[in-house]
Amino acid sequence: MLSIRGVATGYGKVQILRGIDMSVSEGQIVALLGGNGTGKSTLLKAISGLLPVWDGAIEFEGEPIQNRRPNEIVKRGLTQVTQGKDMYPAMSVEENLRIGAYTRRDRAGVTADIGKVFDYFPVLGERRRQLAATLSGGEVQMLVIGRGLMARPKLIMLDEPSSALAPRIVLDIFSIVNRISRNEGITILLVEQNVRMALLLAEYGYVIRDGVIHIEGDSRDLITDDNVRLAYLGGTVTDAGADAGTGLAH
Amino acid sequence: MDLLLDFVIVGVSIGIVYGLVALGISLIFSGLDIVHFAHGELYMIGSFLGIAVISFTGVPYFWALIGAMIITGVLGVVVERVFYRRLTRGGGGYTVAGMGMIICGFGMSVALQNVAYLLWGAAPHPYPVSFGMPIFLGNIALPKSYLYILICALVLMTVLHTFLTRTKLGLAVRAVAYNKDTSYLMGVNVPVMISLIFGVACAMAAAAGVLIGPINYVQIEMGYLMLLKAFAAAVVGGFGSLPGALLGGILVGLFETLCAGYLIASYKDIYAFLLLIVVLMVRPTGLLGILVKVKA
Ligand SMILES: Nc1ncnc2c1ncn2[C@@H]1O[C@H](COP(=O)(O)OP(=O)(O)O)[C@@H](O)[C@H]1O
Ligand SMILES: [Mg+2]
Repeated sequence: MLSIRGVATGYGKVQILRGIDMSVSEGQIVALLGGNGTGKSTLLKAISGLLPVWDGAIEFEGEPIQNRRPNEIVKRGLTQVTQGKDMYPAMSVEENLRIGAYTRRDRAGVTADIGKVFDYFPVLGERRRQLAATLSGGEVQMLVIGRGLMARPKLIMLDEPSSALAPRIVLDIFSIVNRISRNEGITILLVEQNVRMALLLAEYGYVIRDGVIHIEGDSRDLITDDNVRLAYLGGTVTDAGADAGTGLAH
Repeated sequence: MDLLLDFVIVGVSIGIVYGLVALGISLIFSGLDIVHFAHGELYMIGSFLGIAVISFTGVPYFWALIGAMIITGVLGVVVERVFYRRLTRGGGGYTVAGMGMIICGFGMSVALQNVAYLLWGAAPHPYPVSFGMPIFLGNIALPKSYLYILICALVLMTVLHTFLTRTKLGLAVRAVAYNKDTSYLMGVNVPVMISLIFGVACAMAAAAGVLIGPINYVQIEMGYLMLLKAFAAAVVGGFGSLPGALLGGILVGLFETLCAGYLIASYKDIYAFLLLIVVLMVRPTGLLGILVKVKA
């Protein structure tokens, strides 16, 4: 469904990804793992069209999508839920969900899907008229996942849904994500630093390091792999590009 | 007492016109992260276009208002697409192009003024409309155009507010104003929305120009002072806040009219900035301002 071959990209002149190869089949949950600053979010941005792809090819449902505009890629059914929990604080919960369905023309379907999101995340339903700014961290994470679903994606990319959340809430969210994937038949590319949780959910996993896919394999195998533990614990110090990037940021 | 009422009506009407221009400046600031220094010139050109529409087609004043808004809106989109957007090619969008954009705005202001000079000359033009007899409040005669300003401006603001809060496109405009990348991921065509924001802001400036026309003469340098006053209005109200721009405009108009009326009339153009300084000393974010949004 999604195939990535030799993708290289970065910011300005700083290269972050040096040739990523990955593929996600329909109906799968695939985990993309790696330490902080290894380029997981960068890869998602390249897939969703926010970052130009320098080299390589990205195909979605057999068609090339690299360097297409993000709004066109969303229309094809590929949605990214960003890591920053980027909701619109000055809009209500319901407005946030409606903007997620921006590409859709079926009004009735959109209203029905808002109801569906509220079924998965009842707390959002209780807060539908509240401004998103008043939500807690966990609720915001639910809101941005729900908002991603509103586009009726075939494939949704979730960027670290567990970050900065209490373990119990992470468990909640992961079990709901699992249910959504089963019930709605949505393919999921799950980016995580919470390796154990992600591998419990996913069927297949990739570990990114130094700008390339370092290890890949079935989740069951990866969970017992020492190298995975190493990549998970080990930082990004070996990645010169990443260091340069961080240096610029300071 | 009649005099006070007269001053209040005049002040609020003028102020609401400042508010319309300030609204555009605020809209562009929140949507594009730039302060648009050529906005006064779009107000001036809008005013001239109103005259042009009336004299070429003979339509009533109200239709000239709509016509000038549409033409100026399109002009604004062209200016944004052809000139300003070039500066964003280096990446990072308008946010990063900041300083270059400010200089480009100043340049655009001079260029537009010269285009207007070529088209309409330097002489002041009277507005080719007449609203008939003034209204008498006691023994004070109030030209009807002030009432037209009030009504038209309120209708325009209501339409804009309804557009922004009740329509899908308006929702997208607000989304883009807050975060362009996230909005792109929602499937919003961000470049088109940026043009739309610019066009709407310029149409509002044109409306201000056509509304003020019957009160003042129209001439090519009118944009400069309007920019400064509208800027003061936007800052007083809270930069980037749309209700704030309107409130700021009304306060500035009211304040300067009352001061000019009761204190020294020849200092009229100074009072706006006096108010600006006082408000900034007491409340640096402006009256309805929230803390400036934190952007990466
Ligand atoms: N907008 C940016 N501009 C420049 N460098 C960036 C930017 N975003 C991320 N980087 C750099 O790219 C590298 C990878 O970042 P990212 O993809 O966010 O990592 P991850 O999501 O795996 O934690 C890091 O070194 C980071 O400093
Ligand atoms: Mg990340």
